[in-house]
Amino acid sequence: MKKLLHMWRECKAVAFVTYKEWSAYRTHSLVSVFVGPVYFIVQYFIWSAVYGGEGTLAGMEFSQTIRYFGASALIGYLTMDFADWNLQMLVRTGKFLTFTMRPIHHRFFALSQKFGHRVLGFFFEFLPCFLIFIFLFRIDIRPVSTGWTLLSVAMAFLMNFYVNYCLGMTAFFLVKSSGVRVMYQLFAQIFSGALIPLNFFPDVVQKIMLFLPFQYTNYIPAMVWTGSESIGSMGLNVPEAVVLQAVALGLMMLFSEALYRCAIKRFTAVGA
Amino acid sequence: MKHLKLYRICLRTAFSQALAYRADFVMGSLITLLSNILFPLVTVLIYANGATFPGWNMWEVLLVQSVYSMSTGLASMVLSSIVWVTMDHIRGGSFETVLLKPISPLFFIMATNCDVQSISLFAGGVVMAVISACHTGVAGIGAIGSFLLLFVAGFMVLCGMDLIMAAISFKWVGNSRIPEIFDSISNFGKYPLSIFPQAVRVFAVMVIPVAMIGFFPASALLGRLDPKAYLSIIPCALFMCFGIWLYNKMILLYEGVGG
Repeated sequence: MKKLLHMWRECKAVAFVTYKEWSAYRTHSLVSVFVGPVYFIVQYFIWSAVYGGEGTLAGMEFSQTIRYFGASALIGYLTMDFADWNLQMLVRTGKFLTFTMRPIHHRFFALSQKFGHRVLGFFFEFLPCFLIFIFLFRIDIRPVSTGWTLLSVAMAFLMNFYVNYCLGMTAFFLVKSSGVRVMYQLFAQIFSGALIPLNFFPDVVQKIMLFLPFQYTNYIPAMVWTGSESIGSMGLNVPEAVVLQAVALGLMMLFSEALYRCAIKRFTAVGA
Repeated sequence: MKHLKLYRICLRTAFSQALAYRADFVMGSLITLLSNILFPLVTVLIYANGATFPGWNMWEVLLVQSVYSMSTGLASMVLSSIVWVTMDHIRGGSFETVLLKPISPLFFIMATNCDVQSISLFAGGVVMAVISACHTGVAGIGAIGSFLLLFVAGFMVLCGMDLIMAAISFKWVGNSRIPEIFDSISNFGKYPLSIFPQAVRVFAVMVIPVAMIGFFPASALLGRLDPKAYLSIIPCALFMCFGIWLYNKMILLYEGVGG
């Protein structure tokens, strides 16, 4: 209990400092207030044209697809992460050395930083866009089941962090891991369901995606948000999808720990 | 003539620099090429699920998107550095090193920062356009002429966009998300204009003529071009001129203390 309280204090302190640090660049976040709705408008017109008069496509109705894209954009603001870039920079320059001497695990430090950064994202990206979707676009973007949605988004937040942290750890082996990161981002864009819901992919691809981390960062939380009764090729309901997400997150956390133990042995602390 | 000679030398240097790190160059080009292949995946999936963009078959839409890739690839190769290099110089307070050169700052930045890797984006776009055109057919030699004319106009739009972005960075120091604003707007140029409502069409043709980046040149190849589209070349040229004017005007705001 004492240890948990200590961790909470550490997390709060780091998150608060990160929040204050990034508050200096508020307009950086506010760009999303323009970019998010414009992307959404484009998606709206594309899918209006594609649906035409048709009732459902790939098992999704037009209104659900539109809500999916709205939810997907909002989830992106809550889960956005660049732990991979940060870690690879620290390793490449040798600055990671300072973290090995601190009485705090770097992963926990980075996670706390992400909390602070995303609290800022909540106020300057999520909230304005949420209100724009509701009051300007008249889209009912409220989650169908608030409890399940909060749980799913929280796990997407952690999943995104752990995946990115693992990508950052490749720098211990490759020194400069920008190629791996770009490659991951490329696949994540497609297979996380950010561009198109995974329902549109062939069954085989959807099944393969169950074993990869992409869909747990965006597709599943967005489907949970819209209250879909049949998620993915396995036709999961909301609680089943959230349990699957929890299992995937658990495995990712274990993998991250194993990779960290392996990677830290290669750290030379001299930069490159 | 002097500028052309200088540009040729700079281009040769950029290629030599890129080839000094061959593995990085090849890897970067492959990733760019792969992203190019994945970009039209949404369209393919939409059609694979039995849906369509009304009045357009899959290959026609892919042609619009491949022409868009060609334009952005070329612009990225020649122009994209203007934004990032200007932004870096302003943030670091080192723009004086550009201003001191006995040549236009705009030309200097453009010539000395050619992004050779984007050649794969352009090449990927060309390959995709050829494949799509093989399926759709081309309306004739005249259509190719119109395509080239409109493609140049589309390039002018991208040029204007990059210059405006770079110009904004003189005032909005250190905001690396400025390009996202224009990226989001240029999304309207990736799809057939007919799917958008009238207000968006007017915006995409007359205000920020993003329809010229992919839609109009591809329509010319398909023989589906409304002759009125040629009038849109005027706003494209004006847009680029505005970009050049704004960039040169905003240089005066440079304070030389970094940001």
